Amino acid sequence: MISLHWLILSPLIIGTAAKLMPIKTAKKIMVLFQTALLAVVTMIFVEVRQNGPLLENIGSWPNTIGITLRADLLATALVFLSCFLFLAMIIFVHNKNYADHLFFFLFLGLESLIIGIFLSNDLFNIFVLIEAATLIITILIMYKQSTVAVYDGMMYFLINVVAMSFFLMGLGMLYKKIGVLDFYALEAALRQVNNPASLILPYAFMITAVSLKAALMPLFSWLPKAHGTPSAPSVVSAVLSGLYVKTGIYIFLRLQTAFSPLIDTSEFFVILGFITAIVGFILALAQTDIKLLLAYSTVSQIGVIMIGISLNNPTAYWGGLYHLMNHAIFKSTLFLTAGMIISEYKTRKISEIHGVYSHMPAVGVATILSILGIIGAPLFNGSISKFLIAAGASGSWIESGLILINLGTIIVFMKYGQLLFGHSGKKEAANSDILEKAVVLALSMLCFLGGIFGSDLIAILFKINLSINPLSDGEKMLLFVGSILLGLLIYRSLFKKRNPLAFIRSFELGFNEICLSITLFFAFMVVYLKITL
Amino acid sequence: MIALNGETISIVLFFVGVYGLIARRNIIKSIMSISIIQVAIILYFICTNAVPGSVPPIGDVVQTQQVADPLPQALMITDIVIGIGVTAAGLTLFIHLYHRFGSTNWQKVMKKRNRHD
Repeated sequence: MISLHWLILSPLIIGTAAKLMPIKTAKKIMVLFQTALLAVVTMIFVEVRQNGPLLENIGSWPNTIGITLRADLLATALVFLSCFLFLAMIIFVHNKNYADHLFFFLFLGLESLIIGIFLSNDLFNIFVLIEAATLIITILIMYKQSTVAVYDGMMYFLINVVAMSFFLMGLGMLYKKIGVLDFYALEAALRQVNNPASLILPYAFMITAVSLKAALMPLFSWLPKAHGTPSAPSVVSAVLSGLYVKTGIYIFLRLQTAFSPLIDTSEFFVILGFITAIVGFILALAQTDIKLLLAYSTVSQIGVIMIGISLNNPTAYWGGLYHLMNHAIFKSTLFLTAGMIISEYKTRKISEIHGVYSHMPAVGVATILSILGIIGAPLFNGSISKFLIAAGASGSWIESGLILINLGTIIVFMKYGQLLFGHSGKKEAANSDILEKAVVLALSMLCFLGGIFGSDLIAILFKINLSINPLSDGEKMLLFVGSILLGLLIYRSLFKKRNPLAFIRSFELGFNEICLSITLFFAFMVVYLKITL
Repeated sequence: MIALNGETISIVLFFVGVYGLIARRNIIKSIMSISIIQVAIILYFICTNAVPGSVPPIGDVVQTQQVADPLPQALMITDIVIGIGVTAAGLTLFIHLYHRFGSTNWQKVMKKRNRHD
């Protein structure tokens, strides 16, 4: 059995070694390597699924002292997802001319850091990995060195550094109180603490940073700029929005699990997730740039995931995690297709793009399939996860809230879907790369397969049996058709000709305002915990 | 009366840095504020659980002596390196930004960026 640390090290080593080879050979080796890595991760996944979590202490220190890597089922499933998406991305950039040695080095470096974050069991180690990932992502955002991207990259970099400083301060306070930094030792130690009030400060510091990483309500303003920056290569946007933002949610999940016996904020985060989802789709509707629209829709979907994992209900929890995986698939597809559309039409304005379906059929099909996934159409993967979250929330106001969120998503993607129809005004057929088409079609087919085999996939990935039959529930079908009709009506009457939300675009938070919102969120968290505990 | 020790000073320093981030529009001052925050964190880690009179955990230490907790120190060596890297990267990015936008003011840079868009 291969040791866990090789999963983290090998992408970095291959990325560095590729520098020595001619770029054409390097690209082929990269694809082979990713396939091999995926096979190894699958083996580890099977092993973990059968025999329980794998634990590796780096440097052979005893437990809880040194750095530990821990592969439990959730972490391994997420590592599997990352390796799979990176394989798809590497195939996607195979014929791109911006993909040179430096790009591959950074890209594979990012992969190893993401895998590291998922596997790591030590809070300080996670901090170091995230700081390194921030730096790499900044360079990737600015990769084409356009003027706009320099500003976006700088904002991304400094804001994330500020947030991680909050995280480290919280870490210091936690270490002072508890004396361990290992997640599982922490969980055990926190159960012994009988005065939760003493943990308010460390918790507030850390959860502020993690909420920013996961892009929750007041702290998401860095995300659209970073994920939707016009000049970043579309694979970078896809990885950031599909995968990297999930590391924030993953750490949030781990922290909440560790702190839950003492500090229970799940209700607060359900409400925050709800607000995030609503604000996300309203802002998405206001956009005219296709990448920014997709980036804001990511914010909205993160809200949905957050509702799922904070509800304290097993069905909703697994639904939230399945939605996290589904979102990775369909949002990467959407970003990749958006990149292909932009390079074909030479514009990013939704209103100027027409007839994608007739002009670029493969891209059109992939876009339709992933849109059906994201709006939760029956038989598609989004419907399964949204159904599970709604089932977990049944009986409370969240259930109707989720219908409202889905309605918002439908309107957003009706607006986005306008680019599929009409006449492109171009004579000759688009000559997109065959590999690009293959990748987006394969990924979008997964949206469909993830819906058909939803319950089996959940059983395989999370080892949990949930009975879902997407077709049997007539009520859900009716609800979906009703939402579509209502969405169509709202879209036709309000957004077809003009955009009543356009004024929102003129509000933009600068660096100082974002720092202020981080501090206010922190202060709010402290006051809220003081009152509730 | 709050004791004047390393911990309280580091918390004050931390929020001085945060104030700089919120109230100063100058980009270089923002990067400096981040450095102040880093220093505050390092001070905090080193001062937590420190016992007066303890010896540093280096080399062969006599068993009878009280040894300082080595873990925060090891962590802070890493953090110092990260802090230097972050400051250097931030300043490098700032040079690029200044060449493109010709201003050190966040507000002006943001306006120019939106005109480019």
